Amino acid sequence: MNYLVWRQHRNQLGFAALGLALLAVILVPTGVHLASAYSAAIKGCGSPGTCTDVGTGLFANYGLLFDLIGLTAVVPALFGLFWGAPLVAAEIEAGTQLLVWTQTVTRRRWLAVKTAWMLAAAAVWGAAISLLVTWWSGPVNAVDQSRFSLGHFDTQGLVPVGYAVFAVALGIGVGAIARRVLPALAMTLGVFTAVRFAIDYVLRPHYLAPRTAVFPLGSQSAPPSGSYWPINSSILDASGNVFDKVHLVAASFPAACRSLLGSAPFDRCLGSHGWKALVEFQPANRFWTFQAIETAIYLALAAVLVLVAFVAVERHDA
Amino acid sequence: MTGGSSAQTAAVEAVGLTKSFKSTVALRDCTITVPEGRICALVGPNGSGKTTLLRCLAGLARPSAGVVNVLGHAPGQDHEFLANVSFLAQDVPLWKRLTAKDHIAIGARLNPRWDTTGARHRLAQLEIPADKPVGTLSGGQRAQVGLALALAKKPKLLLLDEPLAALDPLARRHFLGVLAEDVSEGGLTVLISSHLITELHRVSDYLVLLAASRTQLCADVDDIIGSHRLVKCPGGGGERVPAGVKVVNSFRSARETTMLVRAGAASFEPECEVHSVGLEEIVLGYMSQGAPADLRLLHAQGGEG
Repeated sequence: MNYLVWRQHRNQLGFAALGLALLAVILVPTGVHLASAYSAAIKGCGSPGTCTDVGTGLFANYGLLFDLIGLTAVVPALFGLFWGAPLVAAEIEAGTQLLVWTQTVTRRRWLAVKTAWMLAAAAVWGAAISLLVTWWSGPVNAVDQSRFSLGHFDTQGLVPVGYAVFAVALGIGVGAIARRVLPALAMTLGVFTAVRFAIDYVLRPHYLAPRTAVFPLGSQSAPPSGSYWPINSSILDASGNVFDKVHLVAASFPAACRSLLGSAPFDRCLGSHGWKALVEFQPANRFWTFQAIETAIYLALAAVLVLVAFVAVERHDA
Repeated sequence: MTGGSSAQTAAVEAVGLTKSFKSTVALRDCTITVPEGRICALVGPNGSGKTTLLRCLAGLARPSAGVVNVLGHAPGQDHEFLANVSFLAQDVPLWKRLTAKDHIAIGARLNPRWDTTGARHRLAQLEIPADKPVGTLSGGQRAQVGLALALAKKPKLLLLDEPLAALDPLARRHFLGVLAEDVSEGGLTVLISSHLITELHRVSDYLVLLAASRTQLCADVDDIIGSHRLVKCPGGGGERVPAGVKVVNSFRSARETTMLVRAGAASFEPECEVHSVGLEEIVLGYMSQGAPADLRLLHAQGGEG
């Protein structure tokens, strides 16, 4: 069976290896360059927090590469389309399942070996790309303090492995049901995109209950710190009433501060009158916890889809 | 050949086999027995359920009702069954981008008995390029690759769905010759579906005829030929059929009635001519049952028996 997988899929693996090599050729030299430029830039100002403008000069010429980094978020979908969707669907469309299912190998074993190889390949490629991107983004993570934002959280760490495995499992499962390549491709792309969006925007902010920080408005060193993820923010007046920013009207403010409205000292004035800012956020040190939770979710979805594929193939009736 | 199948072990047995897909019934109440060591022709009009029957026997399709027994097992996902049964599907599905050599090498790794040298030798003999992607080969060459793979598996039961369709007459004769040779070595039973009755007759000694999704005939070819007669009686009445004679098909003109009958040694009225009849005519007679009169082929044949 391993030989069959190798013969059938070596071209795909070759292309994927080529793509990965190309990415490395671009990211390794520029990453080395970026890292040395960064360490030179922060030498003067101690810690990254104190020199906020260090990124402006440093990243000015890296716009295209930032786009490329962002694009690696799409790569798992490509695995789903090229490795996952055709795995069962292309065989059934070409009728070659009649050939392979009448050799001395059970359908279960046939699918198990093929699926295992494809999922392993997805995990390896996903991990390799993520390693490159995570390493390359070291200075960006340090300066921008935005590891939770889209394009950062979903291209670094563990989650790209989860996405890649999920995408391939999705392709296999959908292909086994659709039995035609084109519908399988469309459904794989559609479902993958929908799941990514749903989890990015709906689920991810709530993996753990957010922390809350309350501090006087206008204070200089306000919590939270580091690469945190703001979920929600509101304003409390002196007696503790919560205002959404939209519901604030001039009359809501203390009389003493109204004349300052729109100017810089306004916030400090409110602060001195007992007004506070309330921030709900995911703290920076939850980054890896969130990565692990999200990866586990995608792996669980992948497991369900693989199961679906097995049921569909076992039940297939020609 | 004794003609009786009960004395021999059956390679294939189906009782009341029915297969329906959603609303259509592809095969209805099919009961057949094919003894071991035979080359059995599976004939019938398009849509009569030949492919469905073969796929049920190969374990690719699950019967909706009835019992199937292949080499003493119900078809399923076990190694013994899979190793013993070889199936060549219609249109010869192969992995287009892989070469014939690749296919042979894959088969060698997926099957316990595999005749790599035999398969390569066969393709070399037919001058089929083993190093080209099979997608670039002609239909006939692909069919030969498929047949070589099916034989290389060294099966006990070989199921072939329309294998002759893509072959030229010379290749057909060669292939059927190879088949007969393999069967004569013993331990192999072949079920081969085709419309080419005359060519099948050269090698097959057993026949299953499906029509209208049912089994019409399932017997030794010699017995089939021996038990059928073409009877021509003058006049358009034609209802003077002796007891125990089954009229398979009949055609009436004003002058005479022509009937294909299945009978033992029944005697017809003296004014009737009784001819022996060839296998193809018998098969066509069954296949055109219930067809409009002008589509029945019976009247077209003289009594060349």
